[in-house]
Amino acid sequence: MLFYVLARKTYVRNLQYRGAHLINTIASSLFGFIYMSIWAAIATDQPLGEYGSAGIVSYVAFNQCSLWVAAFLTNGLGIEQSVRTGGIALELMRPTHLFYQLMCKEWGQIAYQFVYKFLPIYALYAVVLPMYMPHSLKTWLATAVALLLAGYISICINYLIGATALWTTESRWLFWVNYAFNSLLSGFLIPLEWLPKPLAFIAHWSSYPSLNYIPTRIYLGLSSPSTLVRSVAWAVFLTICCLGLTKLMRRKVEVQGG
Amino acid sequence: MKPMITVHQLSKSFRLPQPAPEGPFRGLRTLMSRQYTEKEAVRGVSFSIASGEFVGYIGPNGAGKSTTIKMLSGILHPTAGEVQIDGLNPHRDRRRVARRLGVLFGQRTQLWWDLPVRDSYDILAAMYGIETDRKDARITELADLLQLGEFMDTPVRKLSLGQRMRADLAAALLHDPDVLFLDEPTIGLDVVAKRSIREYLHSINVELGKTVLLTTHDMDDIEQLCSRVIVINRGTIGFDGTIDELRRRIGLPTLIRVTYRQTPVLSSTGLASYDDSSLRVTEIDGHTVTAECNREAISAMDALRLLEQYGEIEDVHMEEPHFEDVIHNLY
Amino acid sequence: MMNGLRMYGLLFRASIRSRMQYRFNFWFSSVMLAVISIVEFLLLAIVLLKFGHIKGWSLAEAGWLFSVLSLSRALYRTVANDVHNIESYLVSGELDGLLLRPIPVLSALMSRNVSFRFGEVFQGIGILAVSMSTLMREGQIGWLSIPLTVFVILSGAVLLFAIGLITATAGFWLTRITELQNITEDAARTAVQYPMSIYPRWLQGILVGIIPVGFANYMPGLFVLRGDTGWWMLPLTACIAGALFILALFVWRFGLSRYQSTGS
Repeated sequence: MLFYVLARKTYVRNLQYRGAHLINTIASSLFGFIYMSIWAAIATDQPLGEYGSAGIVSYVAFNQCSLWVAAFLTNGLGIEQSVRTGGIALELMRPTHLFYQLMCKEWGQIAYQFVYKFLPIYALYAVVLPMYMPHSLKTWLATAVALLLAGYISICINYLIGATALWTTESRWLFWVNYAFNSLLSGFLIPLEWLPKPLAFIAHWSSYPSLNYIPTRIYLGLSSPSTLVRSVAWAVFLTICCLGLTKLMRRKVEVQGG
Repeated sequence: MKPMITVHQLSKSFRLPQPAPEGPFRGLRTLMSRQYTEKEAVRGVSFSIASGEFVGYIGPNGAGKSTTIKMLSGILHPTAGEVQIDGLNPHRDRRRVARRLGVLFGQRTQLWWDLPVRDSYDILAAMYGIETDRKDARITELADLLQLGEFMDTPVRKLSLGQRMRADLAAALLHDPDVLFLDEPTIGLDVVAKRSIREYLHSINVELGKTVLLTTHDMDDIEQLCSRVIVINRGTIGFDGTIDELRRRIGLPTLIRVTYRQTPVLSSTGLASYDDSSLRVTEIDGHTVTAECNREAISAMDALRLLEQYGEIEDVHMEEPHFEDVIHNLY
Repeated sequence: MMNGLRMYGLLFRASIRSRMQYRFNFWFSSVMLAVISIVEFLLLAIVLLKFGHIKGWSLAEAGWLFSVLSLSRALYRTVANDVHNIESYLVSGELDGLLLRPIPVLSALMSRNVSFRFGEVFQGIGILAVSMSTLMREGQIGWLSIPLTVFVILSGAVLLFAIGLITATAGFWLTRITELQNITEDAARTAVQYPMSIYPRWLQGILVGIIPVGFANYMPGLFVLRGDTGWWMLPLTACIAGALFILALFVWRFGLSRYQSTGS
């Protein structure tokens, strides 16, 4: 119930800015075209492995849409701001766990972005590009689950980033660094198997592929849904981290007296 | 004396786009729509302020105070009418007028937040083209007057609100302007800090001879500092004169509370000889009687003599009307 | 003018001092910014290392395009950081405070905050040095390209400043301009980080004709790196940057006078 109330509030709050967000959506789709053009240019000279020139365009296009579910969340879930205003002490005192509160709110944000950004950009690409569409219901379902897991993992990571605001005033930089790593290690622009060995190794052992690489490959029918096991494992592990960190936050706030 | 500030038939109206009716793309349609509502913030305001005057400019929220100040300082251009600051028009000569103006916004600082107070003065001095020698002399003088010494090298963000206000005041005075506009200079300050700011403002007016225009919601500021008050309401001037004139014009009653030795016996004849507005019993509570007395019509002694008819007086308490209530009545 | 420069020097030192109040944060954010822009370049570099070239552009050439643009941008944002942040001035009403100063509002705005972008500068110079030395070793460019590159960077900074200023001016009408900046500044700049020939015609047209960021690196790069087009490309580049800058100042003054008569 609380989940629904918090999520819905965030969703409705966002609705007011639909007009401004529309321009944002246009910009985002332009960014996608830029990345696709890179691959399209390369594909004129050489074959592109199992993706093929059409496949790689769909790969980048779907990733660009997924950003709105898995990457562009509220900066550190807004924890930095509430640390600055001192509201964090209040939020930690509420009977509901801080992580749960913020997660509920963020799902509202993700839901809004799915409807007003993911879907319009996807529809645009589906019209103007030779965009690949899965044929089986099973693939659609698996993709949906993969995106949900991606959203959840991203929420966890942002929670961890936001929480650092209690220790340093510059936590917002971590958000951008996380975003930069995300674009490199999640397979956003370059499929992981084409990364140089050391980077591929790091990416392989990080949670980033769950955000783009895994969902998009499932969508393209290149990976089986069983690859989601990794995403589930990361979701569980990050949840434990978030809960543990909240304990530390509580102690820190108690010591400082807010 | 030559007027420092002249305002003649000043008007300002804003055109507000009419919000489009509910429906999809409302924001966009509002932007495109050609329908406006005209809002007159200031209508035909005229006054003239002589050099060295300390004038309070007051009015309720949304009365047009800040719009007027913005037009006086060249931030906004008037729809009609004319402003002259020392013979210059702030609309056409914004930058030259800016040199003669010092402005203080109590709500926000004009200093550089992360820098020591002194550094902000260096930057401002460079902006106003003040030479180093003159700047140093000026800072010493102001630091002395406003007692800035103890926090001259502290970053602005670490100052208390009272200290910050003094530092801001010095910033407004750094280029030695003839005219000062003060917008809520005591807002948010505690009683002690308010008092000290008022003392500084008084000496800036008297010792440095600055012409000051003060807007505030704190009526004590007005009562203690201003020789003259201009009241603006709904865009027009409702009053322009001294504080005493203002009091008289409103004619708020003095309250007299009399305690008698015995229960007073109120005869109907006692007060009948006076007109209702000059002395009127408003409350009887056991031994105590409260009456309102219009000092324009009857002296306090006469009023007491009348009240003595009800019995032997044990104690008298008199209350002058609060200035705040005077103003409230005017709005 | 002398006075303006003196004030700028003062502000520059003051800004360093104010940033140094948070010493850790200063270095941390600089390093982070550098990491972010290096990762941005890495994305392109990896693709080029894997596939050799992109529409005939080698890694060294693409590195030149990328770093020239970063340096122009770092320069623009150092000099005029708060032009980019005008929205907050409009929302909070702080712009009124700037109108009280006896200097042009644009100078007052530019002098409010000087931000250093050490991270971007080091990253830019680093990539530029590697790219140019590679190209020199291969004999593709000579020593003359060094002053030409400096010229391109400076003219690019003016161009980006002009685009930023025109976008900022839109704020006098719209107030909220973050989304608009997202297109005219961020998306357009990201696009020309990569060799422009990879884009479809319509997009190239936009990047040269409507938001002419193409003239910040790609167009002059054609001449500096490859001797394509003629020497006239450089004066043309400077002219476009200069003309757009003058246009921007004109638009800015118009917007400001509108602001003063509407107060919105």
